[in-house]
Amino acid sequence: MNTSTQETAMLSRRGTLGFHNLYVTYSAAQGADAVHALENIDLSVDSGEFVSVIGPSGCGKSTMLRVIADLVNPTSGQVSIGGESPKSTRLKRKVGFVFQDAALLEWRRILQNIALPLELKGVSRSEREKIALELIEMVGLIGFERSYPRQLSGGMRQRAAIARAMSTEPEVMLMDEPFGALDQITRDRLNLELLGLSARKRMTVIFVTHSINEAVLLSDRVFVMTARPGRICGEMRINLPRPRSLEIRQTEEFIQYVKQGAALLEQGFE
Amino acid sequence: MQRHQLGSAENRIRHSSLNFVREWTWLVAPPIIMFILVAAIWEWAVAFYQIPPYILPSPGRIFESLVKDQGSILRHSGITLFEAVSGFLIGSFLGAVLGTAFAYSRLFAQSLLPYVIAANTIPVVAIAPIILIWFGHGIPSKIAVTAFLSFFPLALNMMKGLRSYDPIIMDVFHVSAASNWQRFIKMRLPSSLPYVFVGLKLNVTFSVIGAIIAEFVQADRGLGFVIMTAYRTLNMPRLWAAMLVSAAAGILFFALVALAERWIIPWHSSMRKAE
Repeated sequence: MNTSTQETAMLSRRGTLGFHNLYVTYSAAQGADAVHALENIDLSVDSGEFVSVIGPSGCGKSTMLRVIADLVNPTSGQVSIGGESPKSTRLKRKVGFVFQDAALLEWRRILQNIALPLELKGVSRSEREKIALELIEMVGLIGFERSYPRQLSGGMRQRAAIARAMSTEPEVMLMDEPFGALDQITRDRLNLELLGLSARKRMTVIFVTHSINEAVLLSDRVFVMTARPGRICGEMRINLPRPRSLEIRQTEEFIQYVKQGAALLEQGFE
Repeated sequence: MQRHQLGSAENRIRHSSLNFVREWTWLVAPPIIMFILVAAIWEWAVAFYQIPPYILPSPGRIFESLVKDQGSILRHSGITLFEAVSGFLIGSFLGAVLGTAFAYSRLFAQSLLPYVIAANTIPVVAIAPIILIWFGHGIPSKIAVTAFLSFFPLALNMMKGLRSYDPIIMDVFHVSAASNWQRFIKMRLPSSLPYVFVGLKLNVTFSVIGAIIAEFVQADRGLGFVIMTAYRTLNMPRLWAAMLVSAAAGILFFALVALAERWIIPWHSSMRKAE
């Protein structure tokens, strides 16, 4: 184990995202006990790496993402994104966030929804619409630029949310069960497309999911968490060749990873 | 959506204009037919049972009075409508400002809201004389009473509306480093619009009522004045005519706001056609 200062120095290396001794405790509502969402989280993610976090419901997986996005303040410990604090990273618009709910603005057409972060940044109309159109093509929503969100299916809305999160070309993409509410077929297809997108854009992705399959399919590394308080109880490096396809799920190696992940999850419950 | 993709642009336009005519026919025809039916039965009943006009004038008599006095009734209703619209605009504006302040400051809302709600329960007929003393006997006092009435619904709905945003969308704005002004103008305000229109529609109805009640208390013109003088002289056809005109003014005003709603928030679920 490194000493604390070395660890911090390592975390502050450019392009690396890391937690050091992170604790998050939600202060208690009247009468109830304080909730220990995260306990002693120590991990670092390399630039361009695709990392998944799996664990039971309410284990603080989402809280981890919310800390990186400066939506939750850590109770103690350090968070560093390429040597910067979550707040300064957010203000520089280097973080993209995709939520389980697409959270599109229902009064805006898809094009304007995708262009929203650029609009908030102050990018000119013609420029941001040009970028939004490219993204629409990339996520396969051509023909729906002028549709309203309610006219789209759940899968299509989620594609729009991904395009929106990518519009400012973030260095870090946080995905909180983005496909959790979708049917299996749509989910498979979007997984496949996400594999392609993340390879092309070389973003660092932190992907939270309930599904071991999904985590193994997409990731370079998978972290397994325990139930409350959320601690990291295991880590797997997924040495499957890239580019990956859905068929890889039938290989012996893949199945071994899934079994290993399931075992780690099982341990976490005890 | 299917049709959008399949049909050519031309086809779509023809389709939608045809739909438009059909929609409006369905919207307008049934109430008109009902109106004619009720008027006919009414006319017949008044003649058949020989009901005296001071109890219930026949539609024919009311119409006659309306046509005979059209100049005078038009002038009076113009004044009432002016009071109602001015009061509506002033009251709604002040209500929107206060509602926004409530939405942004919990402490301010907590300390002032009980009194606002208490003031809202004061019967307008009780407060109208006070306002008339303050604002004099002219049109401004009628506008003030109207503004008083059409203030609370928007204040409360504005507050509710501005608080009703989707927290995940707020997170999206936060992650995108949006300023407070951007959060207000691009998210909280648009999300509040369905509530705002609920408030505005209530205000519309209250504003016509407010103007007429203020005229009841004291006035030498306006529809309220016409109704009061007709009542004192037992000129029932004229009273009925004034009442119908005030109702028509209210409906027209309401329809304008409802139309604005359809135009401004076509995306909202309340605007979707019932299945």
